Amino acid sequence: MNTQEYISSGIVESYVLGLASDEERREFEQMCRQYPDVLEARIAFEIVMEKQAMQNTIAPAAEVRNRVFDEIGSAGKVVSMSASPSGNTGWLKYAAAACIILLAGSLYWNISLSKKNKELRNNYDNTVARLNEMENDIKVLTDKESVKMASMKGTLESPQSYTTVYWDTTSHDVYLLVNNLPKPADSLHYQLWALADGQPIDLGFITDEYFVRKDKLLIRAKNAQKAQAFAITLEKKDRVDVSKPAGQVYVVGKL
Amino acid sequence: MKLLQAKSQLVFYPYMYLDTARYCILTNSLNSQTTYSEQELVALLQQRNRQAFGYLYDNYSGALFGIVNAIVTEKETANDVLQNVFVNIWKKIESYDASKGRLFTWMLNIARNAAIDELRSRSYRDKQKNQPLSEGLAFPGAVTDPVVNDVGLKKVLGRLKEEWRVLIDLSYFQGFTHEEIAKMLGIPLGTVKTRIRSALIQLRTLI
Repeated sequence: MNTQEYISSGIVESYVLGLASDEERREFEQMCRQYPDVLEARIAFEIVMEKQAMQNTIAPAAEVRNRVFDEIGSAGKVVSMSASPSGNTGWLKYAAAACIILLAGSLYWNISLSKKNKELRNNYDNTVARLNEMENDIKVLTDKESVKMASMKGTLESPQSYTTVYWDTTSHDVYLLVNNLPKPADSLHYQLWALADGQPIDLGFITDEYFVRKDKLLIRAKNAQKAQAFAITLEKKDRVDVSKPAGQVYVVGKL
Repeated sequence: MKLLQAKSQLVFYPYMYLDTARYCILTNSLNSQTTYSEQELVALLQQRNRQAFGYLYDNYSGALFGIVNAIVTEKETANDVLQNVFVNIWKKIESYDASKGRLFTWMLNIARNAAIDELRSRSYRDKQKNQPLSEGLAFPGAVTDPVVNDVGLKKVLGRLKEEWRVLIDLSYFQGFTHEEIAKMLGIPLGTVKTRIRSALIQLRTLI
């Protein structure tokens, strides 16, 4: 068969450009398989067309590329293989970081807990100490039959004043309970006296501290060997002879 | 030394079974400048390799848009058509048969057919109705006037003698069958076929 005549009939162009009828196409494909000349002519024209098209490109809108990739979806996506080894060390890094953070957090937690614990411990100790003190005070007042009580009423000088004295007749310990006594001026302080056989015996001063710290129940005074009554006078702090009362009597009471 | 070489060959022997396509994935991931042979490209595309598809788009979208644009002149619609063309290339790549033509020829025909389908669609024709008539089915003679800014094949078309130009335009750029053209122009089918063949032969010399 004269393939040149067939080739130059326009069938090659017709086929490549998609203008050939189905019958012509089948025939042409058969000719290509059979005659290398025909196949060569086809490829030659295809290359001409491709070159022509590549020389006359028009750029489409930039977003078309993304739209195409969006539409074809993730099917057939190439899995990156370099991700896995670095992923492993990455995991370790994160785990180590997490451990350090946890450790630091735990440390802080421990320190703050220990601090809080110490505070609570101190509060507890203080409370227990105070409780013991009060229990002892109450023991003084209740346990011993030998303890005598004297209610000391306010004098005309200070009618609202009122104190109580507890005197242990065997141990001779003296405790004062201040029910109501006005706070003295800075230059003055209260002095407690025992009256025995008409003579005043100094039992000591009520310190300023008492009026600051009101929570103290009983004030321990000097021992009194003998006593029939008790009294409190308001004295000047700079007084020289403290063995004799010089100021006003505020409260007085008999046993 | 010889023993060592033999041993290392043994060790790497299984990797030599990697087919060309897989090898290309590896090399391509190492070197983005890789160009593919047509065979490699087709193999990768048939394996749904997106990187190869990106390469295909980057290299051929301009050429395919050229042909789409020659048929569908409205820019936005032409872009939509090109999108469909590439989606169809991705979907239909399995059916590509290298024995029937080159990859580009196959893609060019997908592009041309998609553009002609759009041109024939009701929505596109409705759109064109609102435009001033330039080239239309009602005035096939008007088609013969070469438009100055035509590029590519259309430009080549302008150099054909008129009776051939009309035939190429109607068949290639507007997708009419030989029968339709024969009816449209009132000439025998055989004459249409012969003239189109002659026009194509002439066209080839002009490209």
